[in-house]
Amino acid sequence: MELVWEYIVRGVMGVFFDANGAFDIIPMAMVFSGLMLGIVVGATPGLNGPFAMALSLPILISVFGVSNEALLPILGFLIGLMKGGTIGGAVPAILFNTPGTPDAFLTTLDGYPMAQKGQGLKALKISHFSSACGDTFSDIVLFLTAPVLAVLIENVLDLPEKSALIILSLSFMAAVAGKSPIKGLIIGILGMFLALMGSTLSGNGARLTLGIDALGNGLPLTSAVIGVLVIGEVFLALEDTARDRLSKLKAAVILPEGDNSFGLKDIRQIMPRICTSAAIGTMVGALPGIGTTLAATLGYDAAKRLSKHPEKFGTGLPEGVAATEAANSAVSGANLIPVMSLGIPGNFAAVFLILAVESVGDFTLGPSVFRFTAIKEIADYGTIINKDLVVAFGIFTLMVMGNFFNWTVGWWLMRSLGILARIPKTIMMPVVLLITLTAVYVQDGGFIAIWVVLAFGAMGYVLRRLEISILPFVIGFILAPKLEELIRGGYSASGGDALFLLKSPLAVFFMFTAILIVVFVSRQSAGKSESRNR
Amino acid sequence: MTLTTKNQRPARDPWNVGFGVVASIAAFFTLLIWIPNDIKGGFIEINQIGKPEPGDAFFPIILASLMLVLSTGQLVGAVLSSKPQEASGKLTAHNLKFLFLFYTIVLAGLTVMYWLGPLVVDALRSTGVIDSTYRQLVDTAPYKYLGYVAGGFLMTTGLIAWAEGSIRPQAVLTVAIIIGALILVLDILLYNIQIPPNADF
Repeated sequence: MELVWEYIVRGVMGVFFDANGAFDIIPMAMVFSGLMLGIVVGATPGLNGPFAMALSLPILISVFGVSNEALLPILGFLIGLMKGGTIGGAVPAILFNTPGTPDAFLTTLDGYPMAQKGQGLKALKISHFSSACGDTFSDIVLFLTAPVLAVLIENVLDLPEKSALIILSLSFMAAVAGKSPIKGLIIGILGMFLALMGSTLSGNGARLTLGIDALGNGLPLTSAVIGVLVIGEVFLALEDTARDRLSKLKAAVILPEGDNSFGLKDIRQIMPRICTSAAIGTMVGALPGIGTTLAATLGYDAAKRLSKHPEKFGTGLPEGVAATEAANSAVSGANLIPVMSLGIPGNFAAVFLILAVESVGDFTLGPSVFRFTAIKEIADYGTIINKDLVVAFGIFTLMVMGNFFNWTVGWWLMRSLGILARIPKTIMMPVVLLITLTAVYVQDGGFIAIWVVLAFGAMGYVLRRLEISILPFVIGFILAPKLEELIRGGYSASGGDALFLLKSPLAVFFMFTAILIVVFVSRQSAGKSESRNR
Repeated sequence: MTLTTKNQRPARDPWNVGFGVVASIAAFFTLLIWIPNDIKGGFIEINQIGKPEPGDAFFPIILASLMLVLSTGQLVGAVLSSKPQEASGKLTAHNLKFLFLFYTIVLAGLTVMYWLGPLVVDALRSTGVIDSTYRQLVDTAPYKYLGYVAGGFLMTTGLIAWAEGSIRPQAVLTVAIIIGALILVLDILLYNIQIPPNADF
């Protein structure tokens, strides 16, 4: 226990003090500014947390560099953005019936009627309180479960089992993230394949470069992911708004005229719904591939089922706002459970945290992080310590700080952002495009990054139009090098046994479950469409 | 062949079939042409101590084979399915026209961004106003901003004008402020960073 405490203290200290022992305000300031910007971004229709993370990452890397010291400030900003983005989405949802983020759609159901009754400010207070509760709860679950899970995984899983676990995660994501699991898997494999371009593990020279020298170092990872995620969305939003000519949001601010007080009585009223939703959001967030929207839907549904007056939901009920906001915010902490314990990103926000970790410093996410190596001072050598574990506790500290700022000052920003809902997408999206192209250019230092972004943007657009989830593609793209390493290592370690993945009962279980999930979800989708057609 | 609602398609959805066909062809091409011609290492190689170990082609071949199996499954399922299928997404001629127009505007903006600076410098050089090349001036105002400002402005206002059907003064102002802010942050406040297109020269 003493050792655990020692690592925690070092992790916390690492956030507040630099390598020379001097007080360092930068990581704290980065969390604060990330949270503030995240709330602003979330409150702007068309933008969301992962969007802002995508745009910020190249700029942050340009500003802070790629040394180990840069990691905590960069992660602090991204964590702040992630948290703020979820909270801010409620502002236009409540005031203008326009969800700032997709998961805030359900907030409109009761939030907007409350605003129409003159209780907009109260709805915002409930939303902020519920979000902060959900977020804090899921962070606590993350802090407690990720290390335990990681230690278990590290002790129990060997190369074949780890490979099988990644395959299971990808299959799960492909199955749940889109309409067709088979298409999701095909797209996931395509993402993995493209990630191999320009790499080599045998020293035989860059592979799959199509003869293009510029691809000798592989496709720029961040540019490719940003292309699919951001530019694909920019295409889609611009096309839709151009078609509809929705250049202006014709909504008026509902002025607070009714009862906007929010006290202990209200907290007692909404607390049971917050607890249920926070638990639901945390469970959903811990599973890779399931987003905040489903968490909000399940949270709202559960609140309705448990309510004594379900018929009042949708008419401006504080419990409705609380249930959706607690659920979608609880996802943000929990989605780091697979990231921290397995190194597998479960959603887009986690993708950018992984990208940051892969681009900056020598920290690696995954089960090996939580190895509590005995700390030893050796004369003339230095300290033997698991530095990754110290960074992991530093990341947890950043998350606690994010929650602290959210509880204390998040509300003051949130209440003043109604105006942002009036920014038309037709202006926002081209501006986002310019910022994206500039950001990837300054990070990769050349037009090649811009061409990659545009090419992957077209791919993202086509996939969205074909209603195929892009999540398996992105996750496959990121996990491919790791999976290749594990599979090659497992094959070599087995002495060239082609069936090495089926030699361990646990690996067989993971592989069998992966197949079962895909088959089950495929049959379920087929069944659904059949029953709809009857 | 009947359609009951707009969300339903007949049993054989051409987009599901098409997806299977395209993915199968891509997998075949990858396995038979791309991998053999673009990977120097083999599937399995014998290392220095005589043990077999995976070569550079090992993982790509596994992935491409899996893709072939799955896409064939998708194709066969889509062709043979007797049950009505849920409508999949589709790409319409309108979508393709949009993509074409979008890329035309973006590429026009990027072309201006890339070439304007060097062309202006060449013109000034040929008239004797300056005696430096663009490469020598990539860190000198105003030359280093010419392409970024003009190209960025053209691209952004072009997209706004196309999406809105007109261009409003507030849109122009917004774009100008954003470009100015990006230059301020990335070029003036930060060191060792080059805005487009200067790192390419």
